[in-house]
Amino acid sequence: MIRVAAAALLSLALTSPAHALVLRDMLGRDITLAAPPTRIVSLVPSVTETAFALGGDARLVGVSDFCDWPPAARAKPHVGGMINPSLETIVALKPDLVVGTDEGNREETFLQLRRLGIPVYVVHARRVAEMYDLISRVGELTARRDAVAPLVAGIQRRIEAVRATVGARPVPRVLYVLWPDPLLVPGRDSHLTEMIELAGGRSITAAEPVSYVRFSIEAAVARAPEVIVLADHSSGASTAGRAAPEKWQALTSVPAIRAGRLYSVDLSILHRYGPRVPEGLEILARMIHPEAFR
Amino acid sequence: MGPARAEPAGLTPLIEFDHVAFAYARAADPRTRAFAFPGLSFAIERGEIFGVIGPNSAGKTSLLRLLTRVLSPQRGEIRLDGRPIGALRSWELAREVAVVPQEAPRPFPFTVEQLVLMGRYPHGPRRFFEDAGDAAAARDAMLATATLSLAAMPLERLSGGERQRALLARALAQEPRLLVLDEPTAHLDLRYQAETAALLRRLNRERGMTVLLVSHDLNLAAELADRLLLLRAGEVARVGAPGDVLEQGVLEDVFGCRVTVDKSASGRPVVQLAYERG
Amino acid sequence: MTDARRLATALSALGVVLLAIGLTALFVGSAGLSPGAVARALTGRAETSSVEAIVTLSLRLPRVAVAALAGAALAVAGVGFQALTRNPLAEPSVLGVSSGAAFGVVLAQILGFETGLVAALGVAVFAFAGALLSAAIVYLVATAPGGLAIQTLLLAGVIVGIFFSAAITVIISLVDFNRLSGVIHWLLGNLAPIPPSSLALFAALTGAGVWLILRHARELNLLALGEEAASQLGIDAERLKRRVFVAAALLTGTVVAFTGPIGFVGLIVPHVLRGLVGQDNRFLVPTCAVAGATFLLAADTLARNVVAPAELSVGVITAFCGAPFFVWVLRARSRPV
Repeated sequence: MIRVAAAALLSLALTSPAHALVLRDMLGRDITLAAPPTRIVSLVPSVTETAFALGGDARLVGVSDFCDWPPAARAKPHVGGMINPSLETIVALKPDLVVGTDEGNREETFLQLRRLGIPVYVVHARRVAEMYDLISRVGELTARRDAVAPLVAGIQRRIEAVRATVGARPVPRVLYVLWPDPLLVPGRDSHLTEMIELAGGRSITAAEPVSYVRFSIEAAVARAPEVIVLADHSSGASTAGRAAPEKWQALTSVPAIRAGRLYSVDLSILHRYGPRVPEGLEILARMIHPEAFR
Repeated sequence: MGPARAEPAGLTPLIEFDHVAFAYARAADPRTRAFAFPGLSFAIERGEIFGVIGPNSAGKTSLLRLLTRVLSPQRGEIRLDGRPIGALRSWELAREVAVVPQEAPRPFPFTVEQLVLMGRYPHGPRRFFEDAGDAAAARDAMLATATLSLAAMPLERLSGGERQRALLARALAQEPRLLVLDEPTAHLDLRYQAETAALLRRLNRERGMTVLLVSHDLNLAAELADRLLLLRAGEVARVGAPGDVLEQGVLEDVFGCRVTVDKSASGRPVVQLAYERG
Repeated sequence: MTDARRLATALSALGVVLLAIGLTALFVGSAGLSPGAVARALTGRAETSSVEAIVTLSLRLPRVAVAALAGAALAVAGVGFQALTRNPLAEPSVLGVSSGAAFGVVLAQILGFETGLVAALGVAVFAFAGALLSAAIVYLVATAPGGLAIQTLLLAGVIVGIFFSAAITVIISLVDFNRLSGVIHWLLGNLAPIPPSSLALFAALTGAGVWLILRHARELNLLALGEEAASQLGIDAERLKRRVFVAAALLTGTVVAFTGPIGFVGLIVPHVLRGLVGQDNRFLVPTCAVAGATFLLAADTLARNVVAPAELSVGVITAFCGAPFFVWVLRARSRPV
């Protein structure tokens, strides 16, 4: 009797249509999947990092060429750049979901993928709060929900610790140079502006209305920054993208130069809103408030 | 090429300019602003060699352009065989009137044969490729001008005289009734001038081709032409046989310089410029 | 051998090469499909949602079609412009039409027309509008009371092209840095698979443009005599110039709309073909169409595969071929004949 009932239930379960899973991505678009995704292609380095940090990398079947952290990520199959990934390679990996960002990937790529029947989930994070949201969503996509809370808690703790350390101190004016020539600085919508604030500084370009601005050196000098941080993009072998601090030494009217507070640091970990943000924040805070960390 | 025998006399002239008036509409150049044909009338008879001479800016080139409909007269009429040319389609006119330009266009990347075949366009504008009839006509034209051996050569590689003959061949390929030559010997040395003159004479005598010759070379015109038209400032100064037109008084008046007129060995007038000594 | 026969022979030979390159393009790619798998997909024996079917039929095949059409269009536009200006160095981009179309697209991208299929067609419309605008400006500047002045056309085209390029640079320098890479990527010229309806439109427009120029190929030959001489042979020179200009601008604008600006095809292909089939436009136009398709297809196959899975822009490949080729042509021309 029980056997018959069990068989009936089983056949019922097998013949009833699987629940369609409806996800809403960070741009508010709904994506319908037949089942939770098990083969994910990530076109976003921070999503890849987050997936590995949550332990969900088993579901990642492909990553972009720029997904270089953690080192294990480099072993995953590559699908090309962020601007022009190879559609063929993506299709050949038979993904059931592709994760992209609106800051770095092209809408055209998403269009092509959708046309081929591959769902696309777009993320977008410009604030630390959105970053927590991102981690939570990646946890959901990779079925690692349980790992989200500890990871987020850990990040929050470290950020809080930094804030506590620099909290009461006077807030210096900071110039963050993302690229020296043409001078590229973070504006209002860049997460770097928030980072500088959390590290106890105030970016002199915080009011610029876009996320990244081509700024004039004159205006930067006129705003008299007390700390200058030069982002160094050179990666060991090549000197392209080297910060070249000597070019700035001549600007002796600037308080930062007079006080010798010109730093050049590889902050690529800060340039992604991923799990390594607290590390970058700590380095930034040490540059802005060295006295607090002795 | 053209009529196979001399056209019967007493018929309407081949070309008639009937009180043709023309002025350049907007001329920035003050020299041309004053110029106009106030009302030009003359006729070209069938089978004759007709020469047009005159000083620069007398209107020789404009006359040609009016004849080939590059320009349109403001008043008056130009008739071909009694029919106003304005009523003809452009390729219909091209079947009757062929122009040999002063010089070859540059750059011109085609061969002599390709050039000559271009002359066949008016006889079949709708054809994509030329047909056997076109090829035969082109061959004929090249034979007549002794350019058949040059058929495969690029035009730009030919000497001045050869180029001139190739251009003539192209005009002959149009099978026109009127052959128009614009300064045919302007850039040729003596030998080629003689060759060209002989060729024209032969075409006229053997094929009855009517020829209109525009030239600033008075003696060439005198030698070749049956009748001359001397233009001055858009008007007919004299028209008639070379002996009547090339008179010292008239020439000095029109050209504004001292000349003497003698007789050549063939009985035609020879004009000589009297250079200032001193 | 009659002219028609010679043309047919030349076209057949070139057609064979095109077919060979086309098949190569279908069988080679970063998905690493076996030849058997591709063959299955092509003959319809593969399952519709299998990797080989999707890659071969939805990705490679449309892309091959786009490359062939764009290559043909650019090459024929090149022949048209060169015949019109009597200058074998005239290239579609020299006449400002490419820059105008590119400006239109950059403007569209900045205004945020980035989502949906409607936008994909919308971007093309902006490209057309830009192409039309620059072509109209060039045309108007070059038209004197006497008609379209060819020398002025070349100058006007260069100036208009520079103007729109500068306008593009201004927009780029003001745009959000994040969007910048997408715009720059587009400006390099890229071939991508497009949906069947767009492909049909692309094919129709290319066909119309090529046909319009082919119809006037004989008259374009005669234009080499000079406009006055051509008129004296019975050609309506003004109408001819207008039609060929419009056709060449249409072809260029269409390609830029669908693929972004790709340079040098309109310069290299007619040059090489002149060495093979001669100067006669009646031979050049159809053979350049086929050869142009082949050339761009080969360049794109290279672009897709040489640093796979990353992809180069096809405009980069044509420029790398084009620049040294240009130098070689210039030096060959300056040698005494």
